[in-house]
Amino acid sequence: MAGPGTRLSQAVFRAATSRLPARLPPFDFCLPERLLPFGFCLPERLLPLDSLFAVVPISRLPDLHCPIYSKEEAEVKTVALAVGLALAASSSAYAQERTIKIAGFGAKSGVVRSFGINSEAAMLAAADVINRQGGVKLADGSRARIAIDYYDDRCNAEEGIAVTRRMFGTDALVAVGPTCSNVAEPLFGILQKRVGDAGDSGLQMPIFTDVAIKVGLAKISEWAFRNVPNENTMYNSLFYWLKTKHPDIKTVYGGVEEDFAHSRATWYSVMKERAEASGFQVLGNSKWLLNDTNFATQVREMRKANADVVAISAHPFTTCGVLKEMQRQGVKPKVLVGLTSSSSLETLEGCAKQAEGMIIPTSFAPVTKEATAAAQMTAKFKGAADLHSMAAWENMFILKDVIEAAGISGRPGDVQADRRKIRDGLAKLSETKGLLGVTKRDREGEADKPYLFVHANKGQWRVLHNPL
Amino acid sequence: MLDFLQAASDGVLFGTTYALIGIGFTLVFGVMHKLNLAYAAASIGAAYSGLIILQAWTAAPAWAVFLAAFIAGGLIGWMVYLTCFHFIPLSHPLAPLMATVGMLLLIDEIIVHMTDGMPQNYPAVYDDVMLRIGEFMVRGDLLLVGAVSVLCMIGLLALLYRTRLGLATRAVSQQAVAAQLCGIRVGQVNAMTFVITGLVGGLAGALIGASVGALSPLLTAPLTVKGLIVTVIGGLGSIPGAIVAGLLVGGFENVFQLYRGVTERDLYVMLLLFAFLVFRPGGIFAPRGGRD
Amino acid sequence: MEFYYGLAQTIGVHTLLGLSAYIVLLTGQVTMAQAAFFAIGAYTAGMLTVLAGWHLVPAIGAGALTGAATACAVGFPALRVKGLMLVVATLAFGEGVRLFFFNFDYQVARGEIRVGPLGGEGFRQIRFFQENGWTTGEVMLFIWVFVLLAMAILWWFDRSRYGAVLRAVGEDELAAQSVGINLTAVKVSAMTVGGAVAGVGGALYAHYTTHIEHANFGVLLATFAIAYPIVGGLRNVFGTLAAVVFVQALLVEGLRDLGDWRNLLFGALIVLAMNLRPQGLFGGRRA
Repeated sequence: MAGPGTRLSQAVFRAATSRLPARLPPFDFCLPERLLPFGFCLPERLLPLDSLFAVVPISRLPDLHCPIYSKEEAEVKTVALAVGLALAASSSAYAQERTIKIAGFGAKSGVVRSFGINSEAAMLAAADVINRQGGVKLADGSRARIAIDYYDDRCNAEEGIAVTRRMFGTDALVAVGPTCSNVAEPLFGILQKRVGDAGDSGLQMPIFTDVAIKVGLAKISEWAFRNVPNENTMYNSLFYWLKTKHPDIKTVYGGVEEDFAHSRATWYSVMKERAEASGFQVLGNSKWLLNDTNFATQVREMRKANADVVAISAHPFTTCGVLKEMQRQGVKPKVLVGLTSSSSLETLEGCAKQAEGMIIPTSFAPVTKEATAAAQMTAKFKGAADLHSMAAWENMFILKDVIEAAGISGRPGDVQADRRKIRDGLAKLSETKGLLGVTKRDREGEADKPYLFVHANKGQWRVLHNPL
Repeated sequence: MLDFLQAASDGVLFGTTYALIGIGFTLVFGVMHKLNLAYAAASIGAAYSGLIILQAWTAAPAWAVFLAAFIAGGLIGWMVYLTCFHFIPLSHPLAPLMATVGMLLLIDEIIVHMTDGMPQNYPAVYDDVMLRIGEFMVRGDLLLVGAVSVLCMIGLLALLYRTRLGLATRAVSQQAVAAQLCGIRVGQVNAMTFVITGLVGGLAGALIGASVGALSPLLTAPLTVKGLIVTVIGGLGSIPGAIVAGLLVGGFENVFQLYRGVTERDLYVMLLLFAFLVFRPGGIFAPRGGRD
Repeated sequence: MEFYYGLAQTIGVHTLLGLSAYIVLLTGQVTMAQAAFFAIGAYTAGMLTVLAGWHLVPAIGAGALTGAATACAVGFPALRVKGLMLVVATLAFGEGVRLFFFNFDYQVARGEIRVGPLGGEGFRQIRFFQENGWTTGEVMLFIWVFVLLAMAILWWFDRSRYGAVLRAVGEDELAAQSVGINLTAVKVSAMTVGGAVAGVGGALYAHYTTHIEHANFGVLLATFAIAYPIVGGLRNVFGTLAAVVFVQALLVEGLRDLGDWRNLLFGALIVLAMNLRPQGLFGGRRA
């Protein structure tokens, strides 16, 4: 039997010439699980061609475990491409010794699993692009590559806290997440409230939220920042646009998923108020719960109100249930408005036919060159691009700029100082570049992102109007 | 008044889905005196399995999906029996209860992994049929669910009281040791009970999927809770009781939703349950001189 | 270290939750109401420290008292029924309490912001530990003082005549009654002690997570409360602790490196554990 080293080099050769993992990172060489147990990766310094066939004892390989990249693989069409990539990887590998770790976390289990998968894919895709462009520049002028660790918090408060403490214990400089507002609440609570307050023992780690959207969370801590759309601005603009576009419509009726923090807050303190501010008359609202299945009574109330606009503040599962019941009872409002979070694939999976025409303001659609490219890159990492995952993508590029501007040392001893610098850098930002244009940032750490209106059209979300 | 009637009839009709789940809980409890908490999850899991047929046969009619769910339900029921009951000795009554909790979590998570947690559109039958009498409306698809639950009840009662398997099942349920002494294979009877309830569950899951219009792992928790409440109100082990209680709970909650709002709705269902526990602890159809 | 201290906090709080169900299970009653007492303790203590400005220790005492009082009040009617009926009755009670907190608003202005529970949006900023500069390690020690205290008291109960009475009722109610044991008194007292322990656990939970909302205290938490003593075994209090370590340290955090497999293994390993050790991880005699 050949020694482990021989087996390894054979495996490397076979991988380079036949099949490559789909999520081929530029400088790490993850082998398919089949070839090596536990999805081992070769660190970049072993990859230059002369060492490709070198006999390397397994015991000499440091950090073999590669939790970063998922193990799905796909066919790579030509051997030439594979070899080319390997060459490219090895040549730039010399230049980059150091890594800056960014942690991501969100829900990858339970009904919100798709959010975590998409955010992780977007972060990996963004890191991939940044690393291909040469990584990030550190204070001493050297360049470092970005590495992502993604953690699953199951959308559970205690697990979110555990994950944060875990990330705090690693050399991750900043964290991007979480998915759920009910995780973000306690999480921001355990962070230090005021920076530099020695009497406050909260954790000191910058968190830059991509998904959790409930209004007004970032003010809980000065270490918390968000890049989530501002629903107030978006719905304000949407109702204003509706008013000018259709002067004949006058009344609005709401539907709200009452027991979910985000949907509830969005109806009562956003949609309802914004509709009234635009001169609509709000006739009332029906309520249901997150896991309700029977909407007959609520839709009957809706039918009686006979409003011109029906605005549904609910997540895809009940949105679909209500839309199906509306179809059954023959409720056909002139305009149907949905919740930001429902402008995702989920709604179309569940009820494309009934959702036809539903208008939703969103902070992402592939309308610019950058946005299309981002969506394509994310698709390569098996994630869908929507307003949530593309916020994770933007966060990565914002963080790259912040890291370069703040002069991060990136050395193991300076982790805490670097975290502080990133926090201060994030706090200083008043504008960032996003995929759709410029995002304004306020002093509480919230964003005011550019947005557009999409509507469901033949099983796809298509841009209806771009107010910018 | 029309509002009240409409809400009550909507609720009673939707209660048929609770009734279908209640039948399964009550049957297992009636025969084995054990609680299978994974039942609602298994039923939804079976309904999801029915969707697999659409992968191979995209134009499959709804009945093919339902049939696949029915068969998958039986298989899953048998697997739940093997993993949660077969190997656990009777002297530890709490262990199978906990094992079914583990199974519930496992089934939910398998569904989430297969679908990324996204709701799945479910083929419907008669969902465009609306019987109208003036302003009053009745959903056609829920009438079908109601008819199926009654058919299930008749089928199960016939099975229990007209077949040798039913005789053996009732014998095991009354006195397992004596039944064993008479040559009845208790393990086999128990396994058959799980397969049969699984089949009913698969059908129930498919019909629930069809009447809701979409499947999501979100369905399992409320169905488990409502199914248990229905079982207790109907009388443990009573199949007609489960159906009547299902309709009652459905109608009751919808009427209270109309008058008291959705946030208080379930509080009143709990109060109804308390009223039953205090005034009629045996349930609507209390078993005569039943043990336990 | 921060992470391990945090994990030890979680284990401590969940051990209290498990112990509250443990003592009720000794009398043979399966209760799904422990999450409700936990919620009551959490809201009581949180409101006392945030709104009334109390120190945490008396607030925890108040949480324990309200938990115990509610448990005692619920014990009388609920314990008339047993078996599955009790499971469903206590489940209904637990859901009722959760729905109560779902509809519960009580906010006061503090500076420019309003604090206190706000229905479906929850109760945020319960930051007694952080505001008073307690480090994660200190919080962990604080929590474990209560855990050890509860374990010691329950251990002592177990060893005393009272424990024998509890187990006698759990083994065979009829036999226990025939030797002159007052069933109601025994069951209600066990429920009350359980309520107090759950109240303490809830009070600590509110402060170490800093934010509580009704959804935290649902059926799943109630299921975990009884799962710990059952998975661990009813031989003694260490069974519950062992089960909490098994679930929180191994299944939740320990398997994290397995990625997506972790979630699937969670349920599967509980099934496996029950098949291999039906008497519980730590149980010797019959459960």
